[in-house]
Amino acid sequence: MNSSKRIVAQRYASAYDALSKTNEEASQRSALLNEVSAALLTQQQTMESPRLSLQSKKQAVRAALSGAPETARFIELLIDAKRYDLLPEIARRVEDLLDQRLGIIRAQVFAAKQLSEAQKKQTQDVLAKRYGGSVKAEFITDPRLLGGLKIRCCGEEIDGSLQHQLNKLQEELTK
Amino acid sequence: MAIRPEEITNIIKNKIEQFNTTVDVSEVGTVIQVGDGIARVHGLNRVKASELVDFGNGVKGMAMNLEYDNVGCVLMGSDQQVHEGTTVKRTGEVISIPVGKGVIGRVVDPLGNALDGKGPISAEKNMPLDIVAPGIIDRQPVKQPLQTGIKAIDSMVPIGKGQRELIIGDRQTGKTAIALDTIINQKNIPQNERCICIYVAVGQKQSTVAQVVKTLTDFGAMDYTVVVSATASDPASLLYIAPYAGCAIGEFFMWQGKDVLIVYDDLSKHAQAYRQMSLLLRRPPGREAYPGDVFYLHSRLLERACKLSKENGGGSLTALPIIETQANDVSAYIPTNVISITDGQIYLESNLFLSGIKPAVNVGLSVSRVGGSAQRKTMRKVAGTLRIDLSQYQELAGFAQFGSELDKESQRQIERGKRMTELLKQNQYAPLKVGEEVLVLYAGTHGYLDTVQVTDVLAYEQQLLSYARTEGKKVLEEMNQAVELTEDLEKEVVGLLDHFKTVFKAGK
Ligand SMILES: Nc1ncnc2c1ncn2[C@@H]1O[C@H](COP(=O)(O)OP(=O)(O)OP(=O)(O)O)[C@@H](O)[C@H]1O
Ligand SMILES: [Mg+2]
Repeated sequence: MNSSKRIVAQRYASAYDALSKTNEEASQRSALLNEVSAALLTQQQTMESPRLSLQSKKQAVRAALSGAPETARFIELLIDAKRYDLLPEIARRVEDLLDQRLGIIRAQVFAAKQLSEAQKKQTQDVLAKRYGGSVKAEFITDPRLLGGLKIRCCGEEIDGSLQHQLNKLQEELTK
Repeated sequence: MAIRPEEITNIIKNKIEQFNTTVDVSEVGTVIQVGDGIARVHGLNRVKASELVDFGNGVKGMAMNLEYDNVGCVLMGSDQQVHEGTTVKRTGEVISIPVGKGVIGRVVDPLGNALDGKGPISAEKNMPLDIVAPGIIDRQPVKQPLQTGIKAIDSMVPIGKGQRELIIGDRQTGKTAIALDTIINQKNIPQNERCICIYVAVGQKQSTVAQVVKTLTDFGAMDYTVVVSATASDPASLLYIAPYAGCAIGEFFMWQGKDVLIVYDDLSKHAQAYRQMSLLLRRPPGREAYPGDVFYLHSRLLERACKLSKENGGGSLTALPIIETQANDVSAYIPTNVISITDGQIYLESNLFLSGIKPAVNVGLSVSRVGGSAQRKTMRKVAGTLRIDLSQYQELAGFAQFGSELDKESQRQIERGKRMTELLKQNQYAPLKVGEEVLVLYAGTHGYLDTVQVTDVLAYEQQLLSYARTEGKKVLEEMNQAVELTEDLEKEVVGLLDHFKTVFKAGK
């Protein structure tokens, strides 16, 4: 995806996010958009088929989303503007905007082994203190780390893994 | 040498013990697109322009374009290991190169890695590649001559230490030859006045660079020379930083009070490498598809050539940029840019080269805007009218072609001009000492050649030089040292030349 498409996606996302007044509304809308995006992905062939007219595609969307007229209109707009392919990217960005609204910080925590619940909680607490906000961490096991943790959060990488230490040692010794 | 395993084990053990196991925090981003030596990176929100970033696996890059939602980086190495999703780390540093005495005599790439297989470079410190040139206060006017050892140049387009003199011409007109001869000639100069030389090869063939290194080694010039090489097969980013790397190495010595000569061979390819990078980074193209800041690209480089003031140690950095023209067209974009930045140009012409006038310096179009005040008085005295004589000769020679009757004076001028042109020819790798140059030119401008056949002029020069080197050693030595051509010295020179007349054997 090129730069201009990403910028466009960001604009659609912030417009969609701005529809909601309250945080609840926003999280509902975001969840819905995610669902729609996932659902429409399964119907990609139909949606991209040249045999169906734009009108009928829009009608189908409207029928499926009768409960949420704004979201339906948003998708129709995307179809009209030929930006339908940006939908997954937009949904992702709407999620990010929602996180911003709720003050949630996303983190990825890599560990060599499955962490215990207590360890997970401790990691989250430490991160919350460092970055100031409520942290939602995604825990990923990666045996290549050998030991220790590697955390990615807010554009930073905190690397205390054994793998990293060994790499550094190798660099030091071969210098 | 016996290898003692225990010792090695101890060293390694020590290193491991001293190794500190801290947790590293770094700012990261992820590659979203890579190709043609350019990577687009998402994240790296606080990265600064021209900052060095680390792609892992030993590949570094430079942040060039800071855009709304991504950072455009050029890769300083192969992009094979870099793919979508690769983590990129900020380093917080700008690109720098190891500098110091240990670099002299070496062949390095623009990042300071050795290319000559003589082991790693032992550096005194690291210097950033791109710095702001010294200001007005830090400088003093150019006033010492830099001897190239080439008669045509030292006499008519003299170069001063701290000057920027462009060498411009078509391909295969002897541009590199002039630069190399100047480097080789430093050997003829007493140690305290000798320049440390840096030869920066940008976008040339590996074989050409190898040839240059071999030539320099053969003439013993590698003792005081550094070769910085980014060849045609290197990524454009390396070609782009190569001149700055060479300049940084030179500046280190300059600030130590030394004289430095740096050759950029050539800046046309440098501009092309920068154009390639800019277009791939989607910066808007301008004239000849070069980006808008291509002038600044070269001006900020050449501004770094300077003569430092006494308080700063009085060191100097002389730059000899080389530009290749197409079909002798000096009005193309890059040539005009560099001509306007430099303090003069040595214009080499393919017509002259092909008609056997080597070095093929076009006297009328070559100038040195500041070197005149730096020229030695001895040289100025003998070369004073040389330029005018030669241009008058060329004008008259045009008339003479029509077979028109010429008066005596004009005929004399033509005969003189023919001989001077012949006298200014010079072989490659045969730079002369100042004294020798002055002696030869004195003979020419004072009519000693008028009785010699034009075809014998070269023989005359050869014989005169070998005669002076044996019989007239004292005079020659004096001439090498002399700042001014005093009456006494001139008498000795005349005596030498008069005596040589009787020794000279024509037709040999
Ligand atoms: N003064 C000279 N006398 C005799 N031959 C010379 C002289 N100067 C240069 N040459 C020869 O001319 C050829 C071209 O010289 P050189 O490589 O210096 O040119 P160039 O302009 O740097 O070429 P390129 O465009 O390929 O870089 C070489 O073979 C060189 O040996
Ligand atoms: Mg050349």
